[in-house]
Formats: sequence, C-alpha cells, structure tokens
Amino acid sequence: MFWNFVLRAVQFRKRRLLLAFGALAVAATLATALFSVYSDIERKMRVEFRGYGANIVIAPAAGARTVPLAAVAAAEQRGAIAAPFVYTVGRMESEPVVVAGVDFRRAGPLTDYWHVDGARTASTGECLLGSTVATHFHTHLGDKAELENAPCVVRGIVSTGGAEDAQIILPFVTAAQLAGVQDAASVVQVRADGARLQAVQSALAKALPTTDVRLLHAVAETEANVVLKIRSTLFLLTVLILAITTLCVTSNFSALVLERSQEIGILKAIGAAEKKIAALFLSESLILGVASAITGYAFGLLVAWWIGRTIFPESAAAGVGVNYSVFLPVTGVTLAVAAAATLAAAARIWRIKPAAILRGE
Amino acid sequence: MTVAAVAMGSAVATAMLGVMLDIGDRVNRELRSLGANLMVTPKGRSLPVEIGGISYRPVSREDFIPESQVPKIKSTFWQLNITGFAPSLKAATTVAGQNVPIEGVWFDRRLRGPDGMPLQTGLRALNATWKIDGRWIDDRDRNDADFECMVGGALARKLGVHPGGIVQLFGQPFTVAGIISTGGEEEDRIFVRLEVLQRLTQRPGEVDSVQVGALTKPEDDFARKDPAHMTPAEYDRWYCTPYISSIAHQIEEALPMAIAKPIWRVADNEGKVLGRIRGLMLLISIAALASAGLTVWSVMATTVLERRGEIAIMQATGASNWLVAALFSTEVALEGAAGGLIGSWTGLLLAAWVGRSVFHTSLEIPAMLGPVVVGAAMIASIAGAAQPLRRSLSLEPAIALRGGA
Repeated sequence: MFWNFVLRAVQFRKRRLLLAFGALAVAATLATALFSVYSDIERKMRVEFRGYGANIVIAPAAGARTVPLAAVAAAEQRGAIAAPFVYTVGRMESEPVVVAGVDFRRAGPLTDYWHVDGARTASTGECLLGSTVATHFHTHLGDKAELENAPCVVRGIVSTGGAEDAQIILPFVTAAQLAGVQDAASVVQVRADGARLQAVQSALAKALPTTDVRLLHAVAETEANVVLKIRSTLFLLTVLILAITTLCVTSNFSALVLERSQEIGILKAIGAAEKKIAALFLSESLILGVASAITGYAFGLLVAWWIGRTIFPESAAAGVGVNYSVFLPVTGVTLAVAAAATLAAAARIWRIKPAAILRGE
Repeated sequence: MTVAAVAMGSAVATAMLGVMLDIGDRVNRELRSLGANLMVTPKGRSLPVEIGGISYRPVSREDFIPESQVPKIKSTFWQLNITGFAPSLKAATTVAGQNVPIEGVWFDRRLRGPDGMPLQTGLRALNATWKIDGRWIDDRDRNDADFECMVGGALARKLGVHPGGIVQLFGQPFTVAGIISTGGEEEDRIFVRLEVLQRLTQRPGEVDSVQVGALTKPEDDFARKDPAHMTPAEYDRWYCTPYISSIAHQIEEALPMAIAKPIWRVADNEGKVLGRIRGLMLLISIAALASAGLTVWSVMATTVLERRGEIAIMQATGASNWLVAALFSTEVALEGAAGGLIGSWTGLLLAAWVGRSVFHTSLEIPAMLGPVVVGAAMIASIAGAAQPLRRSLSLEPAIALRGGA
C-alpha cells in the first residue's frame, strides 16, 4: 500500500518530478565534475611545471671544481630526474668557445624548453650548436664544426635565450674527455617532484657532503605558489557553486511538499498518521535523489573526462582526470540535500489542519 | 522564490566569469616571479666565452649598450606589459685568491622614463623570490662613491662573509649589505651598483646586458610564424599582440644596437601554464554556466506549470492566447531581470572575495559583465517559460481546470 502510494505519486506528477530530478541531477553532475577536477588539479599542474627544468642544482662545494657522478645515481634513487653537465673552454677556428657536455638521454626531460632546429640529441662525433655560435661561425645543419680535438657534425641548432646559445654541445663523454675530468661533472641538475622537493634536497645534501645541493628558489616557489593559488581558487569556486545549486535544489524539493498541502489534508482527514505521510514524501525524495546521484555521477565523470582530455592532453594517458571515488560523497550529499529539503518542508505536515486546508485557506 | 532561484543562477555565472576573465592576468603576474623572460644583449661580433659568470675572454670594447638608452625599453608599444628591467655590467675580480664574477646592476633604481614619467625598476622588481639575508642596496639615486655590495649565498659561505662584513674588491673595501640566496648562478656572484663598477672598470655609461620581464600572451601557432613572411595585415596583428617575439622585436627597434632574445625556459613554460589554466577555467565556467542556465530554465518552467489553472481561467474568461502569452512573458522577463540584477551583484561580490582571499588583490572585472548576465538571465527565463506556456495555452481550459493532463 505504502509503495503503491509512492509509485503512483511519481507516475501522476511525472513532469513536475522530472524538473526536480533535473535540478538535482545538474547539481550532482557539477559536484562530481568539480570534485574530480579539484582532486586531480595539483598533480596536473605540477606536470605542467616540469617544463621549467631542474629545481635542484648540485654544484661543487667550496674548494672543489667538480661534482662526483655518484650524485646522479643518488638523485635517481630518490625518484628524481637527474643529469650531469660538464663545461670547458675549447677552441674552434682558433677562437675560444665554451664546450658543454650533456648526457642527452638523462637530460631530455630537463631540456624540454630548448628550441631546437634539427635533432635534440647527438651521438659520438656529432654535436649541437648554440644559435649564437652557429651565426658566429656561419655553420649550418649538417656542416662539420672544426672543434679542436673533437670535430663533429652539426645535428641541431639550439636556441634558449640563455647560456646554451653561446655553447657547442657535445655528448657528455666526449666533452668530459676534453675537459680532462673523470667520473665527475661541472654541475648536476635535478628535477624532483614539487611536492617532495624539500625532502629530496635535504636527503641529497646529507648523502653528498662534498657538494653544494641548492634549491632553485625561483622555480620551486613559483610552482608552489601557482599550484596553491589555482587549487584554492578552484576550491572556493567549487564550494560557491555547490552552495548555490544546493540552495536552489532545496527550494525546489520543498515546493514538492508544499504544493501538495491539499492532498496532505485529505490523507490526514481519512486518518493517516503524520509520520506515515512524512515517510511517504521522504521516500519519494530519496528515490529521486538516488536517480539524480547516479545520473549526475555519470554525466559528471563525462564532464571531468572531457575537461581532462581537452586541457591536459599530455597527462591524459595517466588517467584522464576521472576520480571514481567521488561517487560516495556525491551520492551522500545529494541524498542529504534531498532529504533535508523534504524534511524541512515536511514539518508543515504536523501543522496542517485538514478542515482549514480543504476549505481552501 | 522564483526571483531568488534566478538570482542564485546568475550569481554563480557572474562569480565564475569574473574569476575566469581575470585569473590569467593574476597567474601571469605570479609567474613573473621566475625572473626575466627577455635578455637584451649588444649586437656584437664577438662570441661570449663564459662559464658560470666568469668570462674566459674579455668582451671586446665596441660591444655594449649605452646605459642612457636603457630606459627606452619603456617607450615601446607594449610598455605597460613590461613589469621591470635591469641592466648589468659584468666583470671579474680576485677575492681571497679566487676569480669571482662581479656584476654591476640597478637594484631598485628611480629614473625618469622617456615620456617623463617617473619609474622605479631593477633586480629587485624582477626577482621577487630572491631570499635576502640582510638588506637590499638602496640605489634609488646614482652614487658612484657608495661601496656596498650584495654577495651570492654560495660565495658568501666560501668566503665566510656575513651582512655588515667587509670584502676587498678592486683594492677597495666594500660593505656587505646582504647575502642573496637563489639556488641559481647568482649564488656565485657579487653584485654592486652599476655606476660603481663602471667607474672601477673604466667603462662609464656602458652596459653588457639588460634583463627584461614582460607580461606576454602565450604563443600560439600564429606567433610562431616568421614575421618576415607575413602579409601586412598579419604583421600588424602580430605587432599589436603582446607575444614575446613581438615585444622582443619592439625592444630591438627601440635599441638598434642590441638584440633581444626570449629566455625560453621562462617564456615558453609561462605560455604553457597560462594556457592550461585559462582553458581549465573556461571549461569549468562553461559547465557552471550551463547548469546556471538550466536552473533558471527549470524554475521558470515550474512556475508556469503551477499556474496552469490561472491560464485556463484567463482563457475561459475570454483572454486571447497572445494576451496571456504576453502577460506571462513580461512577468517572467521582469522576474528574470530582478533575479539577474541581484544575482550579478552578489556574484561580483563573490568574485571579489575569491580574488581577495586567493590573490590578495581585487580582480579586474569588466564592467560589461553585470549587464550581460542580467540579459542572459532574462533570456534563460523566457526560454524556460516558453515551452510549458505553449503547452498550457493549447490545452482546453475545461480540461486544465479539472486538473487533467
């Protein structure tokens, strides 16, 4: 009998309930999408900041000229990307020029920002030229660069706006021979996960006492700042949007009860208990709530997936910003909103006097 | 209650749009703390041979930028986008038996721009994240007899100097004003006033390079085109957009003896990060706007549905369909406008609150936003009411009054 009542009510007021359902489903969609994006935004933004290259630099300590290559392994053990660089002065066409040795395989992720015409890496007997060097010696792609003791074929022209523009870039091993260093580098650049930066830095400083492990404040702090600000903006907006949609849905659900005052009057007149009537409305709202939560969850994941795929295509491979675990909180909140709104309005059931309401007062 | 619902929808829309429209600028300013994104150097014929700031060949004398020309950077088309610049002169000296790079710079120089406007700029404005133990050198006014210096952190540890200590440079005792910690190459350098270094190295009025920080528009495919191959219309568009390449081009126009190169490590990533954030906010705004629109639409539809009885009575007493439609549309439009007004006002407050609590400054929100939102609220309201209204009008009054479908 009870469920018959509920189902019939749903059947008879399809259109009206569809609207309430729609409003709640929209709220659930927003909640799912926003929570999904919010829970993932920090990781995504940090990926973006990888392009800035190293955030830790291991330089020789006072008195030393080089950093032992063991520093690279030490950093890699701690889950960071690390690459050694060696610098020396060579001669080309009897002019002095800075020669840089780069471990291309390791340095790849740290040199994303290099604008390169040609290849990004060079093997033995090959080299990359800084743009200023290339212009100065009138050297082009494929030409032979007459570097003393290590002539090489130019595979790429690098332009960064920094020191690299005035360097000849050779594979690390070749340049280390020219510089006359063994198992050592001029500097080791490290990119550690922004969230664990401090920990990695202090661990490295402890493990490599003969070096100077420096945090690049500009990169580290800007990253932290921007990530924090985006996160908090997103958080405030999420709260704001959800608060407002909730208010909207609440009024919608209250109206579902209020507009049926006459029916409530009739039910009371034929002897229904107030509690039973309230339960009637509540179960109706909860059915709507569950349906909206499921629909909203599905749509919300779709929206989150779409946002993730459109904005962060690179990190898309590693899970497209969809956070399945938001289902429980979203359903919980949706049901709570539906129930709270109905109950707030249901308080009126007790106050309704059948005779008065049926007379049309 | 209808007005309240419309107001809530509009508030979401306004707050969202307000934040979205300005967040790019805010983050751009945050990213500027990474330091300069343009490097201006003399158009020299010689190749710099420099490792870690120490030059292995003296730069030939004809390669320099005159210090007097540096403020011209502020006279380019995009002068308002240039947040700071700092000229520097490089030299090396022996301190405690070590060859140490030394740089003459503006720390926080006060000068008159080419248009006569006072401006203040230098290293300090460019590098907000530098940590200083001690204090910055106050060089608002020129004074080439002020022997103060700032020492990089790594070098200070090697030399064992502290703020307030003394270092001998070029046979002169310099007071250490502050120790600079950046983690970068600056840690191995000593910074002094530009005019002091110019006098000590006998290079009066000369500058080796200028760092420039500029707010730029992220590079897109159009920006990567070679300006030499653009049509005049394209060239104008490129010239009048604050791409890093067009700002560099304009600096070269203002300083014919120099070349300006983007520092890609900063410039490229800035564009990427900004692009992502703008895109993210845009999509979230679209989602929020769609839901705000739906909310308004559904509320209006509900209102009309509830008043079917009224419509039927009006019809029964002889009102023509269009009169009823006009009556309801006007009412709905008024409600939409009222809700939109209240909502956009609340939304602006909310956006300002987000701006203040996250970025500690109020956001710059275009004045058009309010009216646009009010208009959108009205349109959404009428759209929401239209369908149920048409349905109700097509119904026989008798059936509607009996409570049938």
